[in-house]
Amino acid sequence: MPDNPYVPIPVRVQNVRVESDDRTLRTYDLVFADDAEPFEYLPGQFCQLSILGKGEAAFGIASSPTEREFLRFTVNRVGTVTTALHYLKEGEELGLRGPLGNHYPVEKFKGQNVVLVGGGFAFTTLRSLAAYLLANRSDYGDITVIYGARRPGLLLYRDELTEWEKRGDVAVHLTIDEPAAGWDKAVGFVPTVTGKVRPSPKDAWAVVCGPPVMIKYTMPVLLDLGFAPDRIYTSLERRMKCGVGKCGRCNIGPKYVCTDGPVFSYAELASLPEGV
Amino acid sequence: MTQRIVTAADLDKLVAGWAKSGAVYAPVEVKDWTEFRRIVSLAETDLTRVNTKLSARGLLFPHCETMFRFEASRPDKAQEADEPETQVVLGVRSCDAAGIAVLDKFFSGQGETDTYYQRRRDRTTLVGLSCHAPADTCFCSAVGGSPTGTRGLDLLLTDLGGRYLAEPLTDKGAALVKDMPEASASDLAKKAELADRAEAAITERIDTRKLKGLLDTADGNPIWEELSLPCVNCGACTFVCPTCHCFDITDETRKGKGARIRVWDTCQSCTYSQHASGHNPRLAPSARFRNRTMDKFRYTVDQVGEVSCVGCGRCIRECPAGIDICETVERLMLALVK
Repeated sequence: MPDNPYVPIPVRVQNVRVESDDRTLRTYDLVFADDAEPFEYLPGQFCQLSILGKGEAAFGIASSPTEREFLRFTVNRVGTVTTALHYLKEGEELGLRGPLGNHYPVEKFKGQNVVLVGGGFAFTTLRSLAAYLLANRSDYGDITVIYGARRPGLLLYRDELTEWEKRGDVAVHLTIDEPAAGWDKAVGFVPTVTGKVRPSPKDAWAVVCGPPVMIKYTMPVLLDLGFAPDRIYTSLERRMKCGVGKCGRCNIGPKYVCTDGPVFSYAELASLPEGV
Repeated sequence: MTQRIVTAADLDKLVAGWAKSGAVYAPVEVKDWTEFRRIVSLAETDLTRVNTKLSARGLLFPHCETMFRFEASRPDKAQEADEPETQVVLGVRSCDAAGIAVLDKFFSGQGETDTYYQRRRDRTTLVGLSCHAPADTCFCSAVGGSPTGTRGLDLLLTDLGGRYLAEPLTDKGAALVKDMPEASASDLAKKAELADRAEAAITERIDTRKLKGLLDTADGNPIWEELSLPCVNCGACTFVCPTCHCFDITDETRKGKGARIRVWDTCQSCTYSQHASGHNPRLAPSARFRNRTMDKFRYTVDQVGEVSCVGCGRCIRECPAGIDICETVERLMLALVK
């Protein structure tokens, strides 16, 4: 079936690890099964992961294109497909379609400061973006990461966050919702912490990714700090099926999240009927 | 292309011939309505009714379609589904053909080409049939169509009384009637007269030319609450619509074998846009009603460059709550100019 955009290509699980202390999140590093060359993609794009017989679901790519050895996805176990994905073991195969959608405007970010604001398990494509920016560190100005979860054990990629904290060329602000034993960093919701960190809007771009409620309350904070609506980006989630702009399921007004997005500026979102 | 004359007897022979080399679909009476069914003889058809219950879209984009098959033991390997047959669709009304032209834009006119739609489309010849007596729910001429419109068709037949004027529009259409005698000037004149009469029979109930600028700001208008009050979000309008193209994709397995299938879906269903987390960006019934109306008259103008209502009137006829899309648009326009 050449050129059929609906047929997944086989990929193999190279590595799988439990990501959160409640075991609902697992991270998979996938490699192409048929010795296929890795595809080109940019941070913010997504793929459809597929287990034939169970179905297909969309996931943001958590790896950076600079990490050419694998494609990384973090899967929250919540339905049929994600449960089947959670049963996958190292060496087993699954289907993949992608890369799909647009990406964060990393070209526009060149020479500028970038502020990443993330919440919960929506940190996946922000991890891709951060890894990309850090791999091309000299192309960018100040990089700030503000990332929160309900509790420490729900923060994704904790080892990597620790490495970033040690690097010195990226400001990392981690927060949890309520105080916890052994936690000496910020406590509070992401919008509040963003207001306290006060990232400067000068020559800066903000990328916000998280649950709808977090996005809703973070946007006004960034606007108050002086970020222009066309300099704030977010990535939207919709219940997609085809991923290629045919099935209609992910529309927001005239836009399809799968092909016009998933990355939108706040200025674009303001003109659409439903937003996040 | 040369216009030709096909008598009823000739059409009978043509249909029998087409049926030997592929499938032929035409409106067939079922209870008190007609629908497109596979036929082998012209005698099975009922070409007198204005519109079939469902549009012809299902012959190119089936209600339920196998995308590919797989075996449960090899959940990583997809096997191709069967190739569709060649088909002639006879008796397609101009509104339905225009609807197919819109579907062409969605499925293959932009971005990726939809493999499943395109391979059926490539194997399909659409033979239209002019309307002489539009129904009171018809408004094709208000949305850029006509009872004798040729858009999307390969061949248009016009019933001149026991014999048909055949206007080829593509090479595929011309090939179907290449052995038929040429039409005379009086045949063409008669067709023109019938076309004028049919056109005059349609009461233009909306003016879509006025819509575009107006609807740019319509999403947030409180009028949607009021307009959508009678709507029960059953989705009947979306299933009968010639241009609705939304689908769901799902896997089915049985006894070790399975298939990934796609099924028509409706934006009127509350689970249509619901996330796995439970969050639903279009939870309010009025938001779903608004989505359908705005999609037809505004969103697709951005997406494919035109209004995607073809004026077939099916949604008016089938709505259990008596909602008339023309009235909806009219009331909306009134609210917007206020």
